[in-house]
Amino acid sequence: MVVLNFTLSEEGVAVLHDALACMFKFSDDVCLEARKDKLTLSTLNLSKSAYICFSFAVNRFFARYNFEGTPQHRDRFFCQLYIRSLLTIFRARPTSGDQRDRDTSIERCDVAIDDGVGRKSRLVARVSFRNGITASHSLPYEVKTPVHAKFNGDEARNHWAISSRTLRQLMDHFSPGIELLDINTDDENRIVNFTCFTEKVQKRGVVNNEAVLKKPLHTNIAVEMDEFDDVEVENKLHIIISVKDFRAILQHAQMTSGALTANYSHPGRPLKLSYSADGVLCEFILMTVGEKTALVQKHKNPQKNAAKAPAPQLDSTSHRASSVASENRSNPTPSTSRPPQNAIQTRPRQPAFEIRPSPMPPPTTARSSGLFVDQTEEDEQWEPVNPDEEEEEDDESGRLGWNNTNEPNPSSIRIGSYLSRQAEAQPEPPEHLVSGIDPTQRLEEVRRFGLFSD
Amino acid sequence: MRFRTDLKNVKTFSKLVAALNSLEKLAWVRLDDDTARFTVIPDTGSQVWASLSADLIFDNYNIQSAEPNNTINLELPLGPLLRALRSASGSTYANLRLTKKEGLPMLSMTIHTMTKDDPDKARGAGAGPGAAAGAGYGYGADPDNDPGNPFNDPDMFPQEPLELTLRREREKIITQDIPVRVLHPDTVETIMQPRVREPDVHIQFPPLLQLKAISDRFTKLAATAASSSAFSGGGLFASTNTGSGGGLGGGGSASRHPKLLLSANMHGSLRLRLATDALDITSVWTGLENPDLDASNLPMPPEEHPSARFRAAGPDKWATVRLDGRDWSRVLSVGRLEGRVIGCFADDHALILYVYVPHTDDMTAEDVVTYYITSYSA
Repeated sequence: MVVLNFTLSEEGVAVLHDALACMFKFSDDVCLEARKDKLTLSTLNLSKSAYICFSFAVNRFFARYNFEGTPQHRDRFFCQLYIRSLLTIFRARPTSGDQRDRDTSIERCDVAIDDGVGRKSRLVARVSFRNGITASHSLPYEVKTPVHAKFNGDEARNHWAISSRTLRQLMDHFSPGIELLDINTDDENRIVNFTCFTEKVQKRGVVNNEAVLKKPLHTNIAVEMDEFDDVEVENKLHIIISVKDFRAILQHAQMTSGALTANYSHPGRPLKLSYSADGVLCEFILMTVGEKTALVQKHKNPQKNAAKAPAPQLDSTSHRASSVASENRSNPTPSTSRPPQNAIQTRPRQPAFEIRPSPMPPPTTARSSGLFVDQTEEDEQWEPVNPDEEEEEDDESGRLGWNNTNEPNPSSIRIGSYLSRQAEAQPEPPEHLVSGIDPTQRLEEVRRFGLFSD
Repeated sequence: MRFRTDLKNVKTFSKLVAALNSLEKLAWVRLDDDTARFTVIPDTGSQVWASLSADLIFDNYNIQSAEPNNTINLELPLGPLLRALRSASGSTYANLRLTKKEGLPMLSMTIHTMTKDDPDKARGAGAGPGAAAGAGYGYGADPDNDPGNPFNDPDMFPQEPLELTLRREREKIITQDIPVRVLHPDTVETIMQPRVREPDVHIQFPPLLQLKAISDRFTKLAATAASSSAFSGGGLFASTNTGSGGGLGGGGSASRHPKLLLSANMHGSLRLRLATDALDITSVWTGLENPDLDASNLPMPPEEHPSARFRAAGPDKWATVRLDGRDWSRVLSVGRLEGRVIGCFADDHALILYVYVPHTDDMTAEDVVTYYITSYSA
């Protein structure tokens, strides 16, 4: 039976895609949670230092929305999906071009979740294009209780709000190699400082070494408090977060024109960033670098503090176990109680939520590279040539090449199919040859069988 | 030791640093009373000596040291400097000063800037495109829609988004600290600008973007030709002709550093050629200018200068240098400065490129960036 179905407009598909693309920078999978009045997408990164939650208001965001519920899930339905496959489905096509582009744009998208005893659990997305083509995708999912991070709003008395686009543009001034961002205030000068630094601080006494010159650019940005809305922060409080996470959030936030609000308490306690736009509420809970010395030494240079500070992911695990990753067990629906075919594991993966700190590093930062100060367009052409570069644009390079594989579409063939084909290709040793001609026999030895005329 | 200056012409400065950065990561910067000299000497490849008058890029320039002419020698990483300059481009004010932070010398750039609110980047979440289309129809239905009506000209009265907050955009102050090393005069004393014999041919180059596009294409073709000929040499022809097999082997080793032949004559032609075993391509520019030499600066009478002999020998007398395709591409990256470029060819020896950087405020003044490119032996 259909548990949930909804329809998205072209705009809705794009907004959903943006949200998924943002979450993909933190995690590989997403928890979908549907209720009568809202649909929630949430995820927690591998190191459990960042929690992302997008809530879509049913009456404002969807063209049509119908939540049925099942006997097992009366008031809410949840499942876990791969972001990568969702991104492919909701990929935005260019709409701003000529008529041909317009024809291939998405007109609307119907999504239905089919579930129930004795049925295959599938999310079916039917994308209708303006040119009349309808593409249907059927995705398996895993029924899994979502984990929600807890954030104590009463405790987080420090808060400010600023235009997300202003903040996003400020991040352009930081160099790509930096890891941590220290946000601190100075009441006397009425400014908020955004200071970046890395933990790889050079040791003293190597002043004459060339290593000094390998230090990254150290950047500080001072913003007048007048530019903030509703700023109320303890003087000289340093709060340190991961630049990579912050950039990923701002990349998404800049697409909404509104203000971004930050709420936090003290180092080592979570910080919440939130903004909303047209029926979508976006919330991010990030762990800040917990540092006992930060409070004591907060008047000193932040870089010194940071040198002693452990990585936020490591330090914050103890807090996370208690405060952030407290599992929402209010409606325990263990998947073991469900028919086995419903609990489809699309591929073996890491247990998503474990209490112990995960040794896995957070996902790569490479995806957020688009955030750095972009070069002016004409700069590209002045970059030196690199003839060995394989992935050059085909039309531009003078390189000639042929596809030397005879596979129809090599990229779509997975390892598994190769393995199975290899097994097929290996012929069974033919019985009759055992007593006959050994394939490695020399030709003159074979001649005596009279097969060849001299 | 004191160095403090306001920055001007940040775009030009940033383009120069970008061009230098493509050759080498570290630069030697020599600042004195009236010049700022940037020198880049890679382990392999071409050297650059860029001498800029201080008032091209600096304003309110203030320098003091114990050396003659208040000289300060610095070694600095070009990448961070470039990044700092990019963040200063479009700023309302920027300055640069030598300072110490935590005992380490720093070149500290202070930038006053505004963020620009770019509404095009925002997704209007449904209302945006629809509202814009509605406004467009409104204009079309307007009975007073005559071309003379200035209110119909969107450029004169651009539509602005409704500002809901009364908060004014404030200036932000950005500090970018670039790590530097202060060099003792003794350590840089031995670094000398290369001396090259009087050139055989001097010629004004065609637009570098053209030259770079063709050079890069040749370089890529050379890599392809070399790899494919090495492949066929190994497979089909090695057994039949061992002599050519050896030749192809040589071509294979050259493939990693494809050599381009750049020639010029004293009759306005520049020729770029790529010759491998498999292909031979040439691009020729004609009608270029061979500028007159300033006789007062020559060590010999103009008629005895090597270029006079090359001119007399006619248009078939070429001065040629062999260039490494990649290094040459890095050199041509200087084209972003958009200056006039004169190439001086010493046949089979070296090529010197003089890139003239025009001053935006003083049309008569020019600074020069000099590239020393050594010819590879055949």
